[in-house]
Amino acid sequence: MPDFESGGERLMHWGMLIDLKKCVGCHACTIACQNEHNLPFAMKYCKVAKVGPVGEYPNITAYNITTGCMHCADAPCVDGCPTGASRHRADGIVTVDPDKCVGCLFCMVVCPYGVRQLNEENGIVEKCTMCFNRLDEGLVTRCVETCQLQARSVGDLDDPDSELVKQIRKHNAQPLYSYLGTKPSIYYIMP
Amino acid sequence: MSEIKKTACHFCHMNCGMLATVENGVVTKVAGDPEHPFNAGAQCPRGASALDHLTHPNRINYPLKRVGERGSGQFKRVAWGEALDDIAARLAALKAEYGAETIATTGGTNRTDDFARRRFFNLLGSPNVVHTAPVCWIPNFLTEAASYGWAAFDPEIMGAKCVVVWGHNPGASYLPEMRGLLQAKANGTKIIVIDPVYSETAAKADLWLPIRPGSDNALALAWLHVIINEGLCDYQFIDDWTVGFEELSDRVEEYTPDWAAEKTGISPELIMESARIYALSKPACIQWGVATDQLGRGSSASAQARVALRIICGNLDVPGGDVMPGPHPTFITDWELELNDMLPAEQRAKQLGSDRFKLNSWPGYQLLTDNMLRVWGKSIPAEWFCEANPSTVFRAMATGDPYPVKACIVLANNPLVSYANSKLVYKALKNLELLVAMEYWMTPSAMLADYVLPAASWLERPVMTTTYGVSDWLIASEKAIEPMFERRTDTEFWRELGLRLGQAEYWPWETDEEVFKYRLDPLGLELESYEEFVQCYRMHFAEREYQKYQTKGVATPSGKIELKISIFEQLGYDPLPHYVEPPFSHEARPELAAQYPLSLVAGGGFMPFFHSEHREMTRIRLLRPYPRVAINPALAQQLAIKEGDWLWIETPTGKVKQTAFITAAVAPDVVQAERGWWFPEKEVKDPELMGVFESNINVCVDDDPDTCDELCGSFCSRGIMCRISKVEGND
Ligand code: SF4
Ligand code: SF4
Ligand code: SF4
Repeated sequence: MPDFESGGERLMHWGMLIDLKKCVGCHACTIACQNEHNLPFAMKYCKVAKVGPVGEYPNITAYNITTGCMHCADAPCVDGCPTGASRHRADGIVTVDPDKCVGCLFCMVVCPYGVRQLNEENGIVEKCTMCFNRLDEGLVTRCVETCQLQARSVGDLDDPDSELVKQIRKHNAQPLYSYLGTKPSIYYIMP
Repeated sequence: MSEIKKTACHFCHMNCGMLATVENGVVTKVAGDPEHPFNAGAQCPRGASALDHLTHPNRINYPLKRVGERGSGQFKRVAWGEALDDIAARLAALKAEYGAETIATTGGTNRTDDFARRRFFNLLGSPNVVHTAPVCWIPNFLTEAASYGWAAFDPEIMGAKCVVVWGHNPGASYLPEMRGLLQAKANGTKIIVIDPVYSETAAKADLWLPIRPGSDNALALAWLHVIINEGLCDYQFIDDWTVGFEELSDRVEEYTPDWAAEKTGISPELIMESARIYALSKPACIQWGVATDQLGRGSSASAQARVALRIICGNLDVPGGDVMPGPHPTFITDWELELNDMLPAEQRAKQLGSDRFKLNSWPGYQLLTDNMLRVWGKSIPAEWFCEANPSTVFRAMATGDPYPVKACIVLANNPLVSYANSKLVYKALKNLELLVAMEYWMTPSAMLADYVLPAASWLERPVMTTTYGVSDWLIASEKAIEPMFERRTDTEFWRELGLRLGQAEYWPWETDEEVFKYRLDPLGLELESYEEFVQCYRMHFAEREYQKYQTKGVATPSGKIELKISIFEQLGYDPLPHYVEPPFSHEARPELAAQYPLSLVAGGGFMPFFHSEHREMTRIRLLRPYPRVAINPALAQQLAIKEGDWLWIETPTGKVKQTAFITAAVAPDVVQAERGWWFPEKEVKDPELMGVFESNINVCVDDDPDTCDELCGSFCSRGIMCRISKVEGND
C-alpha cells in the first residue's frame, strides 16, 4: 500500500477501488473510456476479463475482472522510460507525455501488468490516464461515472478518512498481484 | 452556445436519464443524469454508445423507395411527402379491395410511442397489430391481470427479505435492476436465481437453481405443493381475500418434489429448501423474467402457478413484496389515447389468431377491460395486451389463409430475426404487395421493403416513459437536438399517414411534444410547454398505496383475488395451475430423442447488443464479432470441439451455425445459442440478406400454432431438442 498510513509528503494520492463482487462484466467502462479519450475502436485503456466459470456444473463460480493501468507508486514504466515521457504526477497518477514519447515500446516490455498499448494512429504508447483531466475538474473518472453497478470508485489513498480508504479497509481490498512489488494504486475487493 | 438537455436512452426500456451537452446544435457529449432514479448518473455500454449511433455513417437518413426487384437493394431517395402519398394511396386501394384487416403492422420491444400505432390502426379499421409481446411479459402480465386485476410487476426489492429472479438475467440485460439486486443483497436480502445457465446474475446469487430448460412450470407447481402441504401459507390473507384455495390445494397434491425433480433436474431436497426460503421470508418478491414467457405451450400455465405462489404467501401488493401499481389516476395513459372504441366489433372479430389464443386478443382483453374499468376507471392498453397472433399473421401473409394479408408496416422491428420460423417469415414478407419499414439502419427485413423510412433516435426525440402505459408514474425527457437529416419520430409518421387517410380530426397535435403536453395537462401544473415539465419536474409518481384491494376492490369477476381464475374458465381454459408438457422436449417427442439428444436454449443475449440491434456499431461489435453457442466442456470433449470452432446447431426445423464457447455454465446436455444474429457487413441482397439465415437461431425455432401457448400464442424457444456438429470445410 502506498504509505498513507504515515501521512506521507504528498498532498494526495489518487487511487481506485474496484469491487469484483459487484462487477458483471458488461463492458460499459471499456466503451465509456474509449469515448472519453477518443480511442480507435480496437484500443482499450480499460479491459474486462471473464474468469471462469470454474468447477463442474452445477458447482461452479465465476467473476469478472476489469483492469487498466495500476498507477504503480514504484512504476517500472516510469523508471525505464528513456525520454522521460512516462512520469508520476504529484498526485501519484502515471502519465505519458505524448510530445516526449518516441514509441520505443520499452515501457510496454517492463510493465508487468501488460496494460500499455501502442496507438497505431499516432505512434504513441498510451494507457489509462486515471482521467486526470476530469479529476482536476472535480469530476470522477469516466469509468467510475458510467458503472451502473457502482463497482468502481476513486479517491485519496493518502487520506485515512477518505471513503476510498475506509472501503479498502472494510473489505480488506488488495492490489492485483501485489507480489510484483510495484505498489499499485488500484485496489480490488475480491469476489 | 452550450446547453444541457435532459434526454432518455431508448436502447432498452429502462430509459435511463441522460444529460446531453449540445453546442451549436451538435451533441458533443452524453452522460448519465445523476438525478435520474434508475441509472443515477450511470450508463450501460449501449447508453455509452449514443454518439456512435447518432452519427453512424450507415444510418438511414432519407426516405428510400425500392426501384429494382424486391430485395435487390436498389432504392432511390424520395421526398417524405411523395413516399407518404404513395403509401397512403396503396393502403387505401388494398383496404378497398380486401378490407382493412389486410393491413398489418409489426413492432419490436417498446422503444416507440405505440399509442400512435394503435390509434392509427383503430381508425384504419385493422385489428392486426403484432409485436413480440407473446414471448415477452404478456403471458405473465395477463395471467396476473386475470387473477387479481392488474400485474404486480413492481417488486420492491429494497424492502424484500427474499427475491426470486426467475428466468431473468439482469446482469446482462438491465443493469439498473441488477444494481438494485446487489444493493438488496448487501442489506441481507436472499437472492434466489432460477436459470439453466450459470448467468451473470446467478453468479451473484445466494442460491442458484440449475433448472432443466423449459421445466419452470414443474418447479412452480412443486413449490406450491411444498408450501401448501407444509402449511407455510398466509391463511388469514387467503381467507379474507381469495377464492379457490381448496381447489388449488387439491390440484397441486400430485405435483410432489419427487415428480418435479425428475422434470427439472433439481433434487427434491433443493426444491423443498428453496420453496421454504421463499415462503418463510416475508415479505418476498418474484421478479418477472422473460424465459417463462418463452415456453411455448405452458407459458401461461407456468405464470399461473407463480401467480398463485405470491398470493398464498401473502406477498401481493405489500411493502417489500410484489406491488401492483395500477394506472395513474390523472395523466392520460396510452389506453386513453388508443381510441379502441373506434374499432368496430366485426373488425375485432377478424383479429388473426383471436379465435384460438384468446387471452391476449380481443376476447380476453374485453373481459379484462370490463373488470378493470370497474375498479381502476382505466384499462391496460390494447397495444401489447390485445394483439393478433404473430404465427397466424405470417401464415396469412404467406398463404392468404384465412384471408389475405397484403400489406405490412414494420416499425422498430426486424421480423426476419425476431420471430420464430424465420424462413416462413421470409415467405410471408416476400409475398406482400406493400412492405414499409421505418428504421435506423438497412436491416435484412428492411431490404425486402418497398419503402424504407428514416427513424429519429433518442437524442432526436422526446421520450415519455410510462412502462407500456401500465404503471402509475411517468418520466419525461426532451430531445437533445432536432432530428438530423430527414429522420422522423414514429408519432409523426403515423400522424402524417393518418392525415392522408382521412383521420385528420383525430390527430390535432403537430408534434410529439404537443401530444405529451396533452397527456400531462390533467396533472394541473399549468404548464407552458412540455419542455417546462421536463426542466422543472421531469417525473410524476402517484403516491404509493399498498394493499389496494382493501380500498379499491379487485378487478376480477368475483371481486376477490382468484386462485381459480374465472376469466380463464370463461374463455375455455383450465382455471387452476396445472402441468403442461413442454412442446419440443424429449418427454413430448420420445421418437426424436436419439437423433436430437441435446436441449437448446435459443435466447442468450450478449450485453451490449439488445435483441437484433447494434450489430452495425463497430465499437460494440468488436466485443463480440461472431455469435457464440455455449457448450459444456464434457460435450466439447466428446465431440472433439475446440473453442471458437464453427458449429451447426440443428433442430427438426432448421439449422444454423455459431462458434463454440466452451463453458461450465451450461449442463452437459444443454446448449445455449445467442439470439438476434445477422451480419450487416455481408452481401445485403436477397437471398443472402446480410446472412440472416446463417446464424439466426430463430431459423431453428418452430412457431407451429399447435406448439404455442394455448392462451397467448407464445412460441417455444426454451428446451428445444437439438444436436450439434462441427462445420466442416467451406460449409
Ligand atoms: S501498470 Fe504498468 S503502465 Fe501502469 S504504472 Fe504500473 S508499470 Fe506503469
Ligand atoms: S480512469 Fe479514465 S482512462 Fe482510466 S480506465 Fe477509467 S475511464 Fe479509462
Ligand atoms: S440500461 Fe443501458 S440501454 Fe438501457 S436505458 Fe439504461 S443506458 Fe440505455
